[in-house]
Amino acid sequence: MTDTTANSFGSLLKGVRGAFAPRTLAQREAIVGYLFLLPFFGGLAVFRFYGFGYNVWLSFMNAGAFGAPRFTGFDNYEKLISDSQVWLALGNTLKFAAIAVPGVVVVSMLMALLMQHRFRGETVFRAIVFLPAVCLPTALILVFAWMFQTQYGIVNAALQAMGTSPISWLGSAAGVTTVVSLLVIYLSFSVPTIILYAGMQDISRDLYEAATLDGAGPVQRFFSITLPLLTPSLFFVIITTAIGALKLFDVVYVLLPPIDQSVSLNYGFTLVYYYFYIGFFAIGQRGYAAAVSLFLLVVILVVSLGLLRVQRRFVHYGEDG
Amino acid sequence: MEMQYRVSWWTYATVFIVGLVIVIPFAWMVATGLMTTSQTLLVPPNVIPSPPTLEGAQEVLNRIPFGALLLNTVIVSLARAVFTIIICSMAAYALAVIKVPGSGIILIVILALLMVPGDIFIIPNFAIISAMRLTDTLTALVLPSIFDVFGVFLLYQFFRGVPRELIEASRMDGASHVRILATIVVPVARSGVLSLAILTVLFEWKELLWPIVVNRSADKFTLGPGLALLRGEYITDWNVVMAAGVMSALPMIIIFVVLQKQFIAGIARSGLK
Repeated sequence: MTDTTANSFGSLLKGVRGAFAPRTLAQREAIVGYLFLLPFFGGLAVFRFYGFGYNVWLSFMNAGAFGAPRFTGFDNYEKLISDSQVWLALGNTLKFAAIAVPGVVVVSMLMALLMQHRFRGETVFRAIVFLPAVCLPTALILVFAWMFQTQYGIVNAALQAMGTSPISWLGSAAGVTTVVSLLVIYLSFSVPTIILYAGMQDISRDLYEAATLDGAGPVQRFFSITLPLLTPSLFFVIITTAIGALKLFDVVYVLLPPIDQSVSLNYGFTLVYYYFYIGFFAIGQRGYAAAVSLFLLVVILVVSLGLLRVQRRFVHYGEDG
Repeated sequence: MEMQYRVSWWTYATVFIVGLVIVIPFAWMVATGLMTTSQTLLVPPNVIPSPPTLEGAQEVLNRIPFGALLLNTVIVSLARAVFTIIICSMAAYALAVIKVPGSGIILIVILALLMVPGDIFIIPNFAIISAMRLTDTLTALVLPSIFDVFGVFLLYQFFRGVPRELIEASRMDGASHVRILATIVVPVARSGVLSLAILTVLFEWKELLWPIVVNRSADKFTLGPGLALLRGEYITDWNVVMAAGVMSALPMIIIFVVLQKQFIAGIARSGLK
């Protein structure tokens, strides 16, 4: 007994002394390296790993406004499955993404093609293309809210000038979908444009010259050279835009603030907006909100993995890829 | 240029129309911001404010603590950029230059975390920040976001490109790793560091959900959530809202115009490596 205590004490002492003793260069380097990683992983441990565990734990709890959370098993998940608002929010989220992602891809592709042309004032044009990306999104969302205002907005004024009756843009499902999709495209086409533009610049001009000699027109050159060689950039644009659209919050929140308790909130509820609403705005059901946020994570992972599968079939990564 | 395109009149026509469409919301924001409230309620609307007035801009100062919001935005953006760069460059250095044992696994963890959206951590992070008694502070806006997985990944790719000989030579001279990081790796990979700084500031300008969750008082907001406060419950004075939009967008646009080349290059670099 005394022997083993003495032994383990001895080995501990040896270990402690060892920590300060000179050691091989590789060992010392490794210790410095881990110390360099420590702040980063310390932060991740608190705000990501612990946070994720806490979220999972909370999703099995009934966490109301008062008192300690109570364990309720799978209640929150059962509620999630039967909650029509969740399916509505999922439907809206997927609908916005299904319109906005192709929208962003097509718009940024056309913009990048346009920017391949040499013309005077290119620098100014490039700055204009970038304006929506460097401006405060809240300000631009508010401009759209104002432009699409029913009574005094300029969009309805223009429609009336053309003899069409005004549209209640923020009071109908189709109207909200239109404005939200336009906004998402407007707010997020700049970065993809630059990425696709840079991708097009990397394509060798010899290919185009050879194709032109073979009699290929501009359209054929686009589909047989530009598009296939651009697939890596294109895939990057698609996946980042899709993930961005699936976690849409700022656009719908500023366009349709929760003070507006009318039906229009239903048209604009996305999954993020919905769990923000139940978790922090309305009733303080944070356990349920945690379950909904994990549901969003599953949706995003399913979509990302689906896109990765598609990528393997279609993306061209050069000869050896 | 890879292809010789003819510069034809329709190129100019297309560029002009596309540019106009992009600029219209900005122009309408400025025009409305210079109107009185009653001018905004005309049917059909007046496109040119007559006479232009700064009434809306003055009213902004009465309704929201604009100066505090602007100052908060500057403080939070700078603090976030500085701390993100310090923490991420240290981690990236350990992975790319020192190549600690287990770097491969750590990189896989980082890539996996890149796929997980930060928004799902709003609920737990609110609990953590509350437990730290940091709600309603500017620290709460900075702290959870500076351990940036994307930043480590971005800098890792740039740090890998720093010539080994430079690092080995100063190791021979007995320079510490902190010194090598600060005086060799960061300066050589400065374009990557600059990209990260620009992107971090842009990310901060786009924050909305986290600030409205963690902070309650308007004077602890940044401009994004602060501006959202201007939407009225029943009636919104759009000239005031648009004036506020111009006032907050203007400093950002000026910064962008001054640093345009670095901005565009920085974002292009972040895309694909």
